[in-house]
Amino acid sequence: MQRPDWAPETIDIERPSVARMYDYYLGGSHNFAADRAAAQAMVAAVPEAPLMAQANRAFLRRAVHHLADAGIRQFLDIGSGIPTVGNVHEIAQRLDPQSRVVYVDVDPVAVAHSREILAGNERAVVVQEDLRRPEAILAHPDVRKLLDLSQPVAVMVVAVLHFVSDDDRPAELLGTLRDAMAPGSYLVLSQASDDGRSEDERAEAERVYRRTDNPLWVRSRAELTALFDGFELLDPGVVWVPEWRPDTPESAEDAERAVFMGGVGRLGG
Amino acid sequence: MTSHPGTFARAWAKAVSGTSYLPMTQAQLETLLHRLTGQLAGALLTEPFDLRAGHRVGAELVAAHIASAEGLGRTVEVIQLRLVRDLGLVAEDVEDRMARLLAAVATGYARALRDRTLDEQESIRRAAMRARTQAERALRASEARFRHQATHDPLTGLPNRTLFTERLTAALNEPGRGAERVGVCFLDLDRFKVVNDTLGHQVGDQLLVTVAERLCKAMGEHLVARLGGDEFVILVERSGGTDGMVEVAETALAAVRTPALVDGHELQISASIGIVERQVAGANPSDLMRAADSTLHWAKAAGGARWALYDAERNQRELARYALSAAIPAALERGEFYLDYQPLTSLRDGSLVGVEALVRWRHPELGVLRPDSFIGLAEETGLIVQLGGWVLAEACREAEAWSAGGAAAPFVSVNLAVRQVHRPGLVQEVRALLRQTGLPPERLQLEITESTMMSTAEEPVRALRVLADLGVRIAIDDFGTGYSNLAYLRDLPVTELKVAGEFVAGLRSPSVGRTDERILASLVSLAHALDLTVTAEGVETAGQAERLRAIGCDAAQGWHFGRPAPADRILARIR
Repeated sequence: MQRPDWAPETIDIERPSVARMYDYYLGGSHNFAADRAAAQAMVAAVPEAPLMAQANRAFLRRAVHHLADAGIRQFLDIGSGIPTVGNVHEIAQRLDPQSRVVYVDVDPVAVAHSREILAGNERAVVVQEDLRRPEAILAHPDVRKLLDLSQPVAVMVVAVLHFVSDDDRPAELLGTLRDAMAPGSYLVLSQASDDGRSEDERAEAERVYRRTDNPLWVRSRAELTALFDGFELLDPGVVWVPEWRPDTPESAEDAERAVFMGGVGRLGG
Repeated sequence: MTSHPGTFARAWAKAVSGTSYLPMTQAQLETLLHRLTGQLAGALLTEPFDLRAGHRVGAELVAAHIASAEGLGRTVEVIQLRLVRDLGLVAEDVEDRMARLLAAVATGYARALRDRTLDEQESIRRAAMRARTQAERALRASEARFRHQATHDPLTGLPNRTLFTERLTAALNEPGRGAERVGVCFLDLDRFKVVNDTLGHQVGDQLLVTVAERLCKAMGEHLVARLGGDEFVILVERSGGTDGMVEVAETALAAVRTPALVDGHELQISASIGIVERQVAGANPSDLMRAADSTLHWAKAAGGARWALYDAERNQRELARYALSAAIPAALERGEFYLDYQPLTSLRDGSLVGVEALVRWRHPELGVLRPDSFIGLAEETGLIVQLGGWVLAEACREAEAWSAGGAAAPFVSVNLAVRQVHRPGLVQEVRALLRQTGLPPERLQLEITESTMMSTAEEPVRALRVLADLGVRIAIDDFGTGYSNLAYLRDLPVTELKVAGEFVAGLRSPSVGRTDERILASLVSLAHALDLTVTAEGVETAGQAERLRAIGCDAAQGWHFGRPAPADRILARIR
């Protein structure tokens, strides 16, 4: 196999991985000592960290449900991480076994793990690529094989954009993806926001993530809303993730503690 | 008492939500817990008490991802506080049974969570291992790819200079191979530049690819590398001797010679090859390649489309010649050059009409060198311009002094190399010299060869005309052996023809002599008809001198009239 030019040359499990830290927040054990140490430091800085991961995961679940109900049968999940409980393909294929899912992640361990989970599933595949190389994602043979981009697709950019700096021009990255999507497609977006957070908390969180390969880039509601350029935002717009179409009214309480903001946009036409 | 399993399940769901991520809605969670509530109630009442029911509930919770320490804690708490009450359970030893039930749930839960944790740890470790293996494999592949790129020519895919040098070095350094022999064919296409220039680089590149393929096919196991441009090299790691190498070279030449169809053009090309074949012992790669390179140049110099075999003696001679030419500038600075003069004698009255300046090199190690040992190389390297300039200046300087004697002083005849004549600024140079030395222009004769005039450039002709107008004499040296184009005799401001010595040599033997004598006689009458004087070169005997005089030749030069000598010795004759 040819090593993509952005991939690390060696696998260093002594270095925390954001994918495995996220698994730890979700209560999983797909993580190593270095991941747990970093995640615990994050929890010390931002006690809601596990909650926000769970809230975000619940947002993903509700969004996939909604899109499946809306007729979407193709999902491109970029930044899928460790495929722990409540995967896109589990949700989507439970609703319709014909649903096709392509996971994309930059972390080789996460990709190897996903590959194991997906073994035998002909309609779900994982691709090692980087959100910062949307052309490469779109051109990847597995993506082209499994997804028909002339038909509507849901592109999930969930809990990953805060690892993309402004220098990497997130709006252009999303624009490239949008240009490849058929009318009637959806963009599901969520990321950490600093709205209502103290300077200290943000600085501390950023310090923790500097230990990983993926420093943190928090964004405001306005910035996130702007990233839906070209899409029609579904109600209720860009909100704290627990507020996005909650199962019960109570589950949206104290929503800002979730740190993550997100929304779903539809490509008109 | 009334039974409210729904109330209990809702309270339970509330207690555990948020303790870990649950991939289900609150309603689904309640449904699940409602079912488990039934099992708990059953376990609490069933006789005899069955631990396994509690274990199952604990395991089911973990399987449903209610799988954290907090999840267990809150579950224990809510069961202990509310199960009996909410469900209105009545049993004799309910407290005792509750304790055992909670223990069973906690045990089942902990067991399942432990198994799950171990499974997850195992799977992530396996993933890390696989990722590492894959990364290492990719790294090796990329290293191999990089190594291939670094050692191969991207155009033809042949090994490049780096790989060739590695293989040659390895072949020479392999232990125990000292007595064996190694061979190299250094191949270069003939006139490849013409293809590039006329048909474009794309066709040129395509041709190189074709040649590369053919060589590869023809050479079989021998390494064929492209060193760059149109240079290829064939390495024969185990040579059986020069005959074998010549065979390899001929095979290679034949492979190149077959016409190649490139982009609609049928290209007929040839190549030259320099062969070096020698014993492994004592060989080193750079010397070997240098030898192959010089040998290739011999093949080129001999007209191309051939091979040449390395000859150590020839190489030694060339190296010595090269060293000599390289030493010319320093020798000029140190004043190692001087001039001898050879008399040009009138055949009419025996008077000294002129002298030809001949350069000598008093080499600190090799002694006095005659021009034939260094002029040729000086011409090739271009150093002739510097050296010729010095000769011209020195001759003018010395000749000016000769008129002090009073008698009609001889002119000085100086050879000009082609490069000197073609160089802009010749007129200024001569003018300046005449002015600086005070030598009258008519006492300077410039000897040029026929080949000087073979180029169609107008500038040299114009320069010579200006010089002739100044009064400088222009002689054609070695007339009759080269181009002998009579047209330029019409156009050029020539004063004199110097007839090559080989015609004069023929005058010695009666049979050949007759033809030569007739040629000479015709030349003389032609020259006189054009108002030119004729000097015969290489006159060695009185007999030759006599016959030349009879023909009407104006002057002569040669051993019979005096060997080259320092100016004062020559001039002593006229004082």
